[in-house]
Amino acid sequence: MNTRQISITVPIFLAIFVIQESVVSQFRLPGGGFSIFLIFSITWALMSSPEIAALCGFVAGLSMDLSQSSSGPIGQWTLLMIAISYAVAYLGSGNEIMASNPLGFTFFTALAVLAVEFAFVVTGALLGVASGSFGQILITIGGSFIWALVVTPIFLPIFSRLHAFTFDTRISK
Amino acid sequence: MRRGSDGRSRLLLIILIVTALFLITLDLRGVGVIQSARQGTQTILSPFQRAGSFVLTPVKNFFSDATHLGRTRNQIEKLRSDNAKLKAELLNRKSADVQLSQLKSILDLAGKAEYKIVNARVISQGSSQSFSQTITIDAGTNAGIKINMTVLSEFGIAGVVKNVYPSSALIELATDPEFRIGVRIAGTQQIGILSGRGNRSASLQLIDNLTSVKVGDILLARGSVANSPFVPGVPVGYVTAVDNSAGAIAQSATIHLYTDFSTLGVVAVVVGAPKNNPGDVLVPVKPQPTPLPTVTVYVTPSPSPTK
Repeated sequence: MNTRQISITVPIFLAIFVIQESVVSQFRLPGGGFSIFLIFSITWALMSSPEIAALCGFVAGLSMDLSQSSSGPIGQWTLLMIAISYAVAYLGSGNEIMASNPLGFTFFTALAVLAVEFAFVVTGALLGVASGSFGQILITIGGSFIWALVVTPIFLPIFSRLHAFTFDTRISK
Repeated sequence: MRRGSDGRSRLLLIILIVTALFLITLDLRGVGVIQSARQGTQTILSPFQRAGSFVLTPVKNFFSDATHLGRTRNQIEKLRSDNAKLKAELLNRKSADVQLSQLKSILDLAGKAEYKIVNARVISQGSSQSFSQTITIDAGTNAGIKINMTVLSEFGIAGVVKNVYPSSALIELATDPEFRIGVRIAGTQQIGILSGRGNRSASLQLIDNLTSVKVGDILLARGSVANSPFVPGVPVGYVTAVDNSAGAIAQSATIHLYTDFSTLGVVAVVVGAPKNNPGDVLVPVKPQPTPLPTVTVYVTPSPSPTK
């Protein structure tokens, strides 16, 4: 990443984080709602190289850890976001079907959201963070997956254009 | 060349993961800098959340109306008959009216038990993506709020102050899986521990194996040492189901919490406890059923059988 890319990426991440905390968090949506910041971070990682994805995952995870609604210790989301961002970028890089098919892209993003939420519960249990009853966990994880399926196609064009503007590439039209 | 790039990528990944693990270790060891980073973030985000809450109130009202369509059908029918100007005014005033009603109920509750309270508006609902149930209120240390103070809703316990900032505070709701409160069954001295379960239903574990609980029993906060984090006498909820499993050391039960956490608009933080334990003063009055008129029909048999 060069200086120009960093100077554009950081404000974008900050802006989406502020939107998540001050707008999306205002709504008590069924199924636990969604995190636009989480969806954005995974989408961004999916469009980037593994190296950049890991760096962006670090920034995104750290921001999520600093959110006052985060229940785990600082570093838990950071660790998970680095791992998931690197993994999705690694699996998605060079995959033309993924890059050219918005449906596949959406489904892959939703699966990544599902995976990271599940990993959060598991690592939370290892670190001694209470996550609620089994039913509530299922509702939240399932809800996140469905919300990601619904929300990703709406914001994908915007995220895609922002990424293309930042990295001067054309991934999806 | 390719091998060099892969090696650099792996090295970066390892450095980032080690940094994350380092942060987790520091946080779990309670290093002050890490703790204050979250406080700093909240202080910065607080004005944005306030603005978001102000701007989005009409949208939230719309969603709330859509969710409670069945219950507000009569109200909607009435509103239909009004003209457009009145409807707009009503929509704008609705939020203030609900908050006023909640505030009045909270003041009644606090007044009965002589709690000294600070009222606050809810400015943000915590994201449940992290499996925690929290809200942020628009009052903090400047209003005399401290960590571990009891938070009331119009119906009873709402939660406890988890973190406090100059002009806002983070409240851990009673539904949070980490929430624990010592409770007493109203009218008795039977005690137990109530735990949040992520929704309005909580679980109760009685401490004494010689005592028992039954459906309909009302639970009140037992109170903590020096009234922190919980003041005594606050209504918590009522028993909806009892688990009488053989082999259990003590009885456990499912509790329905009084507070409706989906409509929290105004809450009160108890900043001063009463001198005397309010006992059962705050036990909610059960609704009195309206008596149905009884119709008695007297039948007198005819003196001679009909042919």
